[in-house]
Amino acid sequence: MDGAEEGMIRSARFRAEREGDWRRLEALVTTVDKRGLRALSFEDAEALATLYRRAVNSLAVAREISLDRSLLTYLEVLCARAYLAVYAPTESLGGLFRRFFQLSAPAAVRRCWAEILVAALALLLGGLTGYALFFENPSWFDVIVPRDFGDPRGPEATREDLLGVIYDKNETTLDALGAFASYLFSNNARIAIFAFALGAFGGLPTFPLVFYNGTIIGLFAALHVDRGVGLDLFGWLSIHGVTELGAVVLAAGAGLSLGRAVLFPGRLRRADALRAAAGDAVKVALVAALMLVAAALLEGFGRQLITDTTTRILIGWGVGALWLIWSMGGRKR
Amino acid sequence: MKLWRRKRKGTRRGLITDFMPPEGVPLIFQVAPLGARAMAQTIDLLLTLAFAASFVGLLALSLNAPWALLQTLGALIFFAIRTPYYVITELLWQGRTLGKSITGLRVISADGRSLGAKAIAIRNLMKEAEVFTPLTLLAVAQDLSPFWRIVTVVWLGCIIAVPLLSPKRQRIGDIAADTVVIAEPKALLLPDLAAAPVEAAAERFPFLPHNLEHYGVYELQTLEGLLHAPPTVSHAAAERRAQTLASVVEMIRRKIDYAEAVPQHEHDAFLKAFYVAQRRHLEQRQLMGERRADKFHKQTPAVSGTEPS
Repeated sequence: MDGAEEGMIRSARFRAEREGDWRRLEALVTTVDKRGLRALSFEDAEALATLYRRAVNSLAVAREISLDRSLLTYLEVLCARAYLAVYAPTESLGGLFRRFFQLSAPAAVRRCWAEILVAALALLLGGLTGYALFFENPSWFDVIVPRDFGDPRGPEATREDLLGVIYDKNETTLDALGAFASYLFSNNARIAIFAFALGAFGGLPTFPLVFYNGTIIGLFAALHVDRGVGLDLFGWLSIHGVTELGAVVLAAGAGLSLGRAVLFPGRLRRADALRAAAGDAVKVALVAALMLVAAALLEGFGRQLITDTTTRILIGWGVGALWLIWSMGGRKR
Repeated sequence: MKLWRRKRKGTRRGLITDFMPPEGVPLIFQVAPLGARAMAQTIDLLLTLAFAASFVGLLALSLNAPWALLQTLGALIFFAIRTPYYVITELLWQGRTLGKSITGLRVISADGRSLGAKAIAIRNLMKEAEVFTPLTLLAVAQDLSPFWRIVTVVWLGCIIAVPLLSPKRQRIGDIAADTVVIAEPKALLLPDLAAAPVEAAAERFPFLPHNLEHYGVYELQTLEGLLHAPPTVSHAAAERRAQTLASVVEMIRRKIDYAEAVPQHEHDAFLKAFYVAQRRHLEQRQLMGERRADKFHKQTPAVSGTEPS
């Protein structure tokens, strides 16, 4: 072999010396490609890292000294594949979920507190406005609230109509399932999604959306108070509404934090500021999505099974308190 | 605004050239063609839809529910599984969904670091706004008011325009998560033409320095491609190849001023010997800092990657 190598040109010698390593790396990379990093033994995993760095080194040298195109092509591709194997995502699903719920999600919610507060204020202001508008002139109700056909709740509704909706019972699980399904496409869920997604446009569309949502609730509340069933409505809304409106506020808060990044990027470029804010915003939005599903369950099943106002209020605010406690937890000590 | 400024940097002819892994040696990846991406997306969509449909089918058999409710439930299940499907598959299979691994695509992080769970989550959550919502709007297009039809068309236009205008073919979710979709790199190591014992050939065909002054890297690598051609099967193909070799030998002999005629049975050996001699010569020149790109003596900067073909 030595005799043959003597006469070889430099780049051919370079290749002959290293080809064994590359072949071994290629075999390891193929294993990782097919069966994942976990399929490697400890020695193999160690070898993968070493061989990868060696191959990258060879590539840097070969680009300088070799004109052998088949070699250069092969090394480029081998290094790219080895890079993909070495830097493959290694997170396990269980660990990911645990980390999200224990640490990063509550922390993200806390970091967005100012935006969430603004969103909550928007909702509250909207509610107060709606309430005041109704007592000024009940016909505002028809102007602002989108009504489904056949919904008895309107300015002309009687006390009995309203109570009928509030203490309505679904006969079967099928109905509850239907209520659950239709819920996710209901007004509040749509508003939560839009409030988040439109946040990137400077947060401007988010604020009126949430305000508008608050106005609707305010008008509803005023209608029921006017007919003397305010407390019943409070119970009916509480059982799922605490969670649901919480979700709307969180989603809007996440949208506003995106909007803030676009409007006031500080010393970063706008795209970078948006990217930095997106991390927290997406986490908060995920929490909001989870809360929407929980609210759907509460609305679809809980509200139909439990018709006692006190219990409804207790469950609703109890669940709300749990969300609050959870968001305060998970601090690193 | 900087957010929407077009950047052309970082790519050349469908290759990503500014990808820097932590090792500090730039690697070259091929940007995934949009057709393959659309194909992968379609496969994934069909898979998740089929799953939701089979679920609804089971429900329909066991529950005897009205059609409208089944429709809503189907939409709900589809909604609940689609984003998790992408996130979980890309996380577990190193940046590949089923559709992507069928079409040979892969997601990588554009900054050269490991592809993180956060990036995967962001790019797939954006899919909700980029793919699913416009598709849903399209599906119900007949029932939409003119206003919403215009919104749908504009929306779709923007969604399609972003990857078309972006040099790395990134969609909005990719830009937000700083990821790129690449074509899975594949290559074989062909035998080194200069590895065989070259002494004998060099004695049989001696090339002098003035013989080797004519060609550059481009011609050398073209010759390499010719010599690497797979063995011929049919007689006619062998005939054609012999003719090609003969004309190439004649051309080279005339260009480099090589006096001795080469008999037909030695054409292959002559070309191999010339390849080795020319490569040795050019590589030595390159070490001295003179890189000759082609026969027109074009100089190229010393550092440049070649492309995976």
